[in-house]
Amino acid sequence: MKTIYVLAEHRQQHLRDTTWDALAAGRDLAQKTGAELACLLLGSGVDAMADQLAKECPKVVVVDDPRLANFNSEPFVKTLTGLLAGQDSYVLVIGNSNSIIDLAPGLSVALDAALATDCIGFEVDGGKVKALRQIYSYKVNALVSFKGASRIVATLRSGFFSFAPSGAAPGAIEKVASPLGDEPLRKRFLSYVEAEKGDVDIASADIIVAIGRGIGDEEDLSMFESLADAMGGVVACSRPIVDKGLLPKYRQVGTSGVEVKPKVYLALGISGAFQHLGGIKGNPLIVAVNKDPRAPIFRAAQYGIVANLADVVPALEEKIKELKG
Amino acid sequence: MDIIVCVKRVPDTSEADLAIDKGGKDIQKGGLDYDINDWDRFAIEEAVLIKEKTGGKVTVVTVGDEDAEEMLREGLARGADEAFLLWDESFEGSDGYATAHILAAFLKQRSYDLVLTGTLADDDCGGQFGGMLAAMLGVPVATLVHKIEVKNGSITVRRELEAGLSERLDIDLPAVVSVATGINEPRFVSIRAVRKVASIEIPTVDRGELGLDEADVGSAGAKVEIEKVFLPPEGEGAEIIAGSPADAAARLAEILKEKGGIA
Repeated sequence: MKTIYVLAEHRQQHLRDTTWDALAAGRDLAQKTGAELACLLLGSGVDAMADQLAKECPKVVVVDDPRLANFNSEPFVKTLTGLLAGQDSYVLVIGNSNSIIDLAPGLSVALDAALATDCIGFEVDGGKVKALRQIYSYKVNALVSFKGASRIVATLRSGFFSFAPSGAAPGAIEKVASPLGDEPLRKRFLSYVEAEKGDVDIASADIIVAIGRGIGDEEDLSMFESLADAMGGVVACSRPIVDKGLLPKYRQVGTSGVEVKPKVYLALGISGAFQHLGGIKGNPLIVAVNKDPRAPIFRAAQYGIVANLADVVPALEEKIKELKG
Repeated sequence: MDIIVCVKRVPDTSEADLAIDKGGKDIQKGGLDYDINDWDRFAIEEAVLIKEKTGGKVTVVTVGDEDAEEMLREGLARGADEAFLLWDESFEGSDGYATAHILAAFLKQRSYDLVLTGTLADDDCGGQFGGMLAAMLGVPVATLVHKIEVKNGSITVRRELEAGLSERLDIDLPAVVSVATGINEPRFVSIRAVRKVASIEIPTVDRGELGLDEADVGSAGAKVEIEKVFLPPEGEGAEIIAGSPADAAARLAEILKEKGGIA
């Protein structure tokens, strides 16, 4: 590979953490393949972000255009296709996020590149890059190769690449004229919308009892509410519970839901997909009950019980009440 | 509005005990239950809801062999008007890219205002299909959409960002929209509804009819290749509390008390 490109992600004029994940992975890949490393920063009024990146990356390519202020995939794909036209032998790494899910697949087609999404690692074998990702409900790891492709786009799972500031000499900032033409966009950003606030703020709770798909067809949540009451905590949930209409969105823990930072997190019937775990901050004690011993939640938890919820939850509540006296 | 919904049949792996097959490139699928990908069920429902408001036609389509027919028939029972099965032996081994290529060829032969699909599939966890398809068709795309408002010649969508934040976008039609789960509440399918659609013919469309070369499809048309699959090592992570559920629960209560889990 000749070049490892890192696309910087930003929102409301701030670089997002995904950018540093991608730069960490990009640095590592550049070192292992002997390629050059360059950051691509597309936005509007991005000088401060460019300076920030240049402290960590030898080259920062900047395109400044008001139509790139928000991560609208249409002008981003057009600009990146313009920037990378005619180039070969590169890997473009991008930290995965809900904006990037909108962008990367279409971009890979426009670039005629091979795509691997949500990668958790890379291997370089004889100069060839291979990606590690997770399939089948994120329970199985898969090593994928790119059939000798000379253009690769890879998006990265957050939390798997840790960035260490290098303190290296400032990199060069190269400003490139926007390749966007005058044709009107067919996809137009209108506004951001904040989530509705509810009667309970799970973000500030110290003790959380969270329920997930593993509660099965049970629609009566009183068993879990009663346990949460006994513990002095609140009931929260993962996405499938909201999808079924059993609890409101403001009770959902996860990257697209609410970020919580409790002291104790009891996960009941939650498989532990990364979108859910991404919402648990501050290193709480995580305890999981799940009937599937391979559920990813057991890799995030400190303690676990492999059993049916109905066999554990009432017994747990009873014992807690006993301990409280 | 004419809407085409792309769906996929997947094994239910969320709570199943999984094992790697002999070839080392896939899991053992013998004992697994198959169903429509959860996200795609919401896409069918959304299409039918839009049709109920604006009129038009809903078409359900998948790339898959005859085992996928039952899923398409469920789509009809949910309110779709017609269904197509795209299959040819040469489609075997298609990755997300090759699958998008096959569906793009199908869509280019038809007229539509909107293509709906689920954002993610539980088998390959790629989240790439809608975006690739839109790029191949040359139309705009939005993924993780949890609200669609139909306007005249365009739609306004809300898509999920992080930490409860959403963005509103205006998108010209035709377009591809990949929906998020929870965008609606998929209706209950009665036995009567299933019986009503039992006689509707579901045509199979092969590679020749789609005008595709063998090099475009299956593993030949794929851009990525799985070299090996493996289960993440066990023993990382939680200390599993042994004993009967009641004993384990009792021990867990003590741990919670110790660690401040009881207020």
